[in-house]
Amino acid sequence: MFLNSVVLILQEILEAALLISVLLAFTRLRDVGHRWIVAAIIIGCLGAFLYALNMAQISEWFDYVGQEVTNAFIQLSIMLLLSIFAARHLGRPDHQPSQGHNREFILCMLFIVSLALTREVSEIFIYIGGAITDPSNVQPTLIGAGIGAGIGISAGVLIYYSLLGLPSKWIALTGLLLLSLVAGNMASQATLLLTQADWLPYSRILWDSSELLPENSVLGHLLYALIGYEATPSLYQGLGYVIGMLLILIGTKFTVWLNNAAPKS
Amino acid sequence: MRSIRVFLVASILAALTLFNFVAALQGYKSSLHEAEKLFDDQLLHTAKLIAKLPLDQDTDSLNHLSNFEYQVWHNNQLVSASSNTKNTIITDLFPGFGDANFNGYRWRTLVYYDPKNENWVIAAERSDLRFALAENVVIKAVLPIVLGIPMIGLLIWLIVSRGLKPLNDLSQQLKDKQVHDLTPIETPALKRELEQVVHSINALIGRVGGALEREKRFTTDAAHELRTPISALKIQLHNLRDELAVDSEPFLQLQSGVDRMQHLVEQLLSLYRSSPSEFSNLFNRINLYMLAQDVIADQHDVFENKHQNLSLEGTDCFILGDSFTLSTLLQNLLSNANKYTPEGGNVLVSIEETDSQVCLKVEDSGPGIAPEDYNKVFERFQRLSNNPEVAAVQGCGLGLTIVSHIAELHHANISISASRFDSGTAFTVLFNKAFKTDAQPMQTDVN
Amino acid sequence: MRNRCKQMLIKLSRLRLFTSLTLSLISCYSMAATPTIEIKIQDHLFFPATIEIPANTKVKLLLINLDPTAEEFESYELNREKVISGHRKAVIFIGPLPPGEYPFFGEFYPKTAQGKVVVTAP
Repeated sequence: MFLNSVVLILQEILEAALLISVLLAFTRLRDVGHRWIVAAIIIGCLGAFLYALNMAQISEWFDYVGQEVTNAFIQLSIMLLLSIFAARHLGRPDHQPSQGHNREFILCMLFIVSLALTREVSEIFIYIGGAITDPSNVQPTLIGAGIGAGIGISAGVLIYYSLLGLPSKWIALTGLLLLSLVAGNMASQATLLLTQADWLPYSRILWDSSELLPENSVLGHLLYALIGYEATPSLYQGLGYVIGMLLILIGTKFTVWLNNAAPKS
Repeated sequence: MRSIRVFLVASILAALTLFNFVAALQGYKSSLHEAEKLFDDQLLHTAKLIAKLPLDQDTDSLNHLSNFEYQVWHNNQLVSASSNTKNTIITDLFPGFGDANFNGYRWRTLVYYDPKNENWVIAAERSDLRFALAENVVIKAVLPIVLGIPMIGLLIWLIVSRGLKPLNDLSQQLKDKQVHDLTPIETPALKRELEQVVHSINALIGRVGGALEREKRFTTDAAHELRTPISALKIQLHNLRDELAVDSEPFLQLQSGVDRMQHLVEQLLSLYRSSPSEFSNLFNRINLYMLAQDVIADQHDVFENKHQNLSLEGTDCFILGDSFTLSTLLQNLLSNANKYTPEGGNVLVSIEETDSQVCLKVEDSGPGIAPEDYNKVFERFQRLSNNPEVAAVQGCGLGLTIVSHIAELHHANISISASRFDSGTAFTVLFNKAFKTDAQPMQTDVN
Repeated sequence: MRNRCKQMLIKLSRLRLFTSLTLSLISCYSMAATPTIEIKIQDHLFFPATIEIPANTKVKLLLINLDPTAEEFESYELNREKVISGHRKAVIFIGPLPPGEYPFFGEFYPKTAQGKVVVTAP
């Protein structure tokens, strides 16, 4: 119970922590205040609570694959939101943002984080809620959850300060790369869920690195949560990953290009 | 990284937590592995023991153990077994450890072949119980690491706070430092990292102080030196007038020019004479209304010359202050009003009191100042108050500079608004009210 | 609320139809041919604990949780993970798989809820 609890909570928290720390670094770059994150966490946790509460019902949608489909839908929405966010706000590093632009910037991040937390924290609620139905599981589950959350949050804090410690011109670029990994990870997970629900057909395995780096090892779990490492990814997962990354990178590149092409006033 | 303290505490705690918890996980894994080995060894010992027991011996002593089962097979015949096992073979007869499901549980199994008796001994132990036992022990070892983190966090917070104390002290000292206080910063037991900072700041303060002192001395010296020749000039003008009996326009202009010059020099001197340190002990309880009456009486001629209607309203109001400088303040406000109000205009001085404040208001019916320019006037105030040379060129600027300087010395607040007349400006000075108990000269921190 | 859910379901069904149509162009995609295997969860045990499926065939696992508590079907080898609430059903599609053994377990009661999928060559 202990190890499973650590693994599951670490994965969910680390995924959220990576996204949040990168967005917080962008917030610091823009200097628009950190208060939105408190709102996002509260909204996300409330959403997660409601989602977890109704999970039994949601699961029975679409011939009992509602859970996968809804989660995949959330993941894809986050990916799309991230790409819109990146294109609208991260493409122009020299751009002096207006008040309205800043408000949109904050709202965008608020929405992304709330949505991501809704799914991730609901998994934690469901897991802990299910695991502690057996009294003998309570202590190991909760200690495991503590350790998982501790590692995840600590990693997030270190990522945040490492990002801010970079030379300033690298902060935005590295943050952007990390965001593209997050988006790729989301897309890849969504394809896996849709395959599990049979909404996407089976596709062949791209590679098998389970001997080299098993998913069930500490490093495997960490990499899974951070960059969506899979020992046996399917073709669609790989495609999803690449498309997710490209959406972010091309989106920003495109705005930079548009901005340069536009006549300077 | 807005706060060094938050950065230090958060990142140190995060690094510690990360490595501690990963180490705890690794420890958990290897401890469990060791425990498994230990249990396996125990299982092997038990199996060997069973193999050595005579087959007919009563093995009831082993039966009460709910987490342990065994079977002894000889030539595919079950010859002995614990009471809970079914007669079917638990697992395939391959020597070694394995796992099997029976009786609704998962079991760790050991098949041991005893070559002496040609017996196969199968020993099985409940996996879940064994695991729970091992995990319980290991969790107890992990728990302090988790519970220790808040304690470590608190400790780091305290240590970092202690480490940053000299820096906080220094910034507090700088914050508390008054604008006019140019004494060097003193820090007992200076930390090596801050030495350079404090030395640099002190050197800067020294240079600024020197520059200010030189400027002040230059201005007062120059004003003082100008006093004598101007006085001489006035006397000579007077003599000249008596001698030549001229009353021509150029002569009158010359005379008023000399008067203005003398006035300017007096203003310059009074600006620097009223420095805060000389001022702290001079406060008296003053009736502002009486003071205003005296000043208005003095200035009456000037207003009469422009046919302006100068009036005073209000009652006796008491403030703590210095009568000479307060007179200067009012004089300057009045001369300002006089200057900007057209002939036949109105100038009104009013004195009111509220619960805690006394309000001195000088209103004129001049052209007035547009509301959006109020701040600019104040900015000019501030700027001019530091630049007497520029002010002298601008004529009125110095007068208002002195007004704001005197207001500041009295902890009074000065503001501009529209006057009650159709056009014009109102200058409002808000003083703190003096109460009966303040009758004695008060030791005030004028800074 | 219920109405909105329904609307969303309809919308999602359309989306599903759309993806299905698109994907049927890419691959031979058919639903009808998928064999279904029922697995019951009772007293934190899987019944049957071992299921046999043919190689290179997609299979629909219908998990029926008879316990009041939730259970999570989890398998690293199959790359599958899904929570089944108490007294509820859930569907998981697996395969096509090469021959071999693919263990799965119930994440909430891993010491008892154990099982495996055995994929045999036809």
